[in-house]
Amino acid sequence: LDTSTHTDSRRLRDLEGLTETMGAQVGDCPSRCHCEEDGMLQRVDCSDLGLTDIPANLSVFTSYLDLSMNNLTLLSSGALSNLHFLEELRLAGNDLTHIPKGAFYGLFNLKVLMLQNNQLRRVPGEALQNLRNLQSLRLDANHISSVPRGCFDGLQSLRHLWLDDNSLTEVPADALGALSSLQAMTLALNRITHIPDRAFTNLSSLVVLHLNNNRIRTLGTQCFDGLHSLETLDLNYNNLEEFPIAIRALSTLKELGFHSNNIKSIPEQAFTGHSTLLTMTITGARITSLPTTVCDQLPNLQVLDLSYNMIQALPSFRGCEKIQKIDLHHNEIEELQADTFQGLTSLRSLDLAWNKLSSLNPLSFSSLPALIKLDLTSNRLSYLPVSGLHGLTHLKLAGNEDLQELLPAESLPKLRVMELPYAFQCCAFVSCEKHSSPWDRDNNHNGKDDFGRREGILNSDSFSDLLLDFDDEPKSHHTVQCSPSPGPFRPCHHL
Amino acid sequence: EGPPSCSNGCERCSEYNGCIKCKPKLFILLERNDIRQIGVCLASCPQGYFGMRTPDTNRCIQCKIENCEECFNRNFCTKCKEGLYSHRGRCYPSCPEGLSTTNGTMECVE
Repeated sequence: LDTSTHTDSRRLRDLEGLTETMGAQVGDCPSRCHCEEDGMLQRVDCSDLGLTDIPANLSVFTSYLDLSMNNLTLLSSGALSNLHFLEELRLAGNDLTHIPKGAFYGLFNLKVLMLQNNQLRRVPGEALQNLRNLQSLRLDANHISSVPRGCFDGLQSLRHLWLDDNSLTEVPADALGALSSLQAMTLALNRITHIPDRAFTNLSSLVVLHLNNNRIRTLGTQCFDGLHSLETLDLNYNNLEEFPIAIRALSTLKELGFHSNNIKSIPEQAFTGHSTLLTMTITGARITSLPTTVCDQLPNLQVLDLSYNMIQALPSFRGCEKIQKIDLHHNEIEELQADTFQGLTSLRSLDLAWNKLSSLNPLSFSSLPALIKLDLTSNRLSYLPVSGLHGLTHLKLAGNEDLQELLPAESLPKLRVMELPYAFQCCAFVSCEKHSSPWDRDNNHNGKDDFGRREGILNSDSFSDLLLDFDDEPKSHHTVQCSPSPGPFRPCHHL
Repeated sequence: EGPPSCSNGCERCSEYNGCIKCKPKLFILLERNDIRQIGVCLASCPQGYFGMRTPDTNRCIQCKIENCEECFNRNFCTKCKEGLYSHRGRCYPSCPEGLSTTNGTMECVE
């Protein structure tokens, strides 16, 4: 993407020749602007100066020009025509309503063009013609409702396109047809309601596609055909009612998100052909069940987020050997079978909070060697099967009023952070006798309990995104945090 | 040190934390200043960050990709650090197997 060493040396030879012939000064810096030397070239920052016109005496060796946050309302044709070395032009945050043909004439080396946060109503196609080296084009946060056919013609190097936060009511399929090198595009925050078949058919290099925060209700069954390289598809915050079976065309998909839609069910063979899928997020829909063969279709899945749905029963996740995180909180799950989570040797975090679990099979968690975080907050449990939980470091059981038994600390030796239903249950982990009164604590007490764990009062550790901050190896001496913490008014003895 | 002033894109300025609400369409970047966070309003996010737009707010979020200078979203890089090669939004010390660069760019293609 960036200029490599070969192109740089050729450009420098051009520069030296140009300097001699034109005798131009590299050092011309328009008044009130801030200029920095970039080798033989110059970076010019004229942002936020209240300018109403482009500075006249710009050096021909300007490689970077920032005119953001000014009051430019018009770009005259040829205004920048002598800036042959310009690579980045920033015009964000002005009041441009129209950009005439020829405005960018002469910018043969332009790579980055920022036009976001202006008042454009249509893509200024005439002005964009022949920008052959343009790689990044920002048109986000305008009022664009029209993307004329051919407006992107000639942009053969374009890799990244921002059209989010505009007024598009449909996918500009015709115009996009010219962008076979495009790798990342966002059409988020528009008013698109339907995606027709073959809308992205020429975008064979596209890797990332954001369509979130639109009003998409229906998808053509072949609307994603042609996206042979797509890895990330974001359909969050739309009005989808049916599961988008069009994703079957996406054989390289790694990350799929369509939370906050109205999808009620997932068809049995929904993920056929998606062996590459790593992350799937379908939260906030109204899904009541999952395909029984979900893991046969998704053998490489690593993260599954199905929180905030209406799932009542779970299939067996056998076959998802690579799955590391399952979020099922805020559903209506009532029971777990012995084989529900059988054989998930990579599973590290399981979140079943806010369900209706009343009975657990004794073997529910028996074959999860990597499990370190288990959240069963606010269910209806009266008993916790501890078989297989010896590696657990974080356990949350608050809100299970019927669970009044003591937990066997010897079966949970690595626990460091706990939220339990009652204070007395913490005593097995936080040695309450030494805490009968903070004033007469034994001074030579070194603050360790019987398991060599340093005691502490809980300020509950937040369950941040697990994949980002796993403690691979528990520290040799770690703080045990347990809540509700026992004390004078919450004695260790169960009243 | 008196309360920090706010840039002209700010809609609501706080006494000790800079801007807490930017004008529409601008991105808010939270800069750390000692123990304080100072809000700054920008038309585009600085290097190492990308701009995420949502219906309620626009924020600058850190790129999470190794060896990346500028990114499109959390896991797609648009500009790798000097001397590194890029392929499908990732940065490499050399082109992955089966790929090579074309006409002097730093991009690896089939």
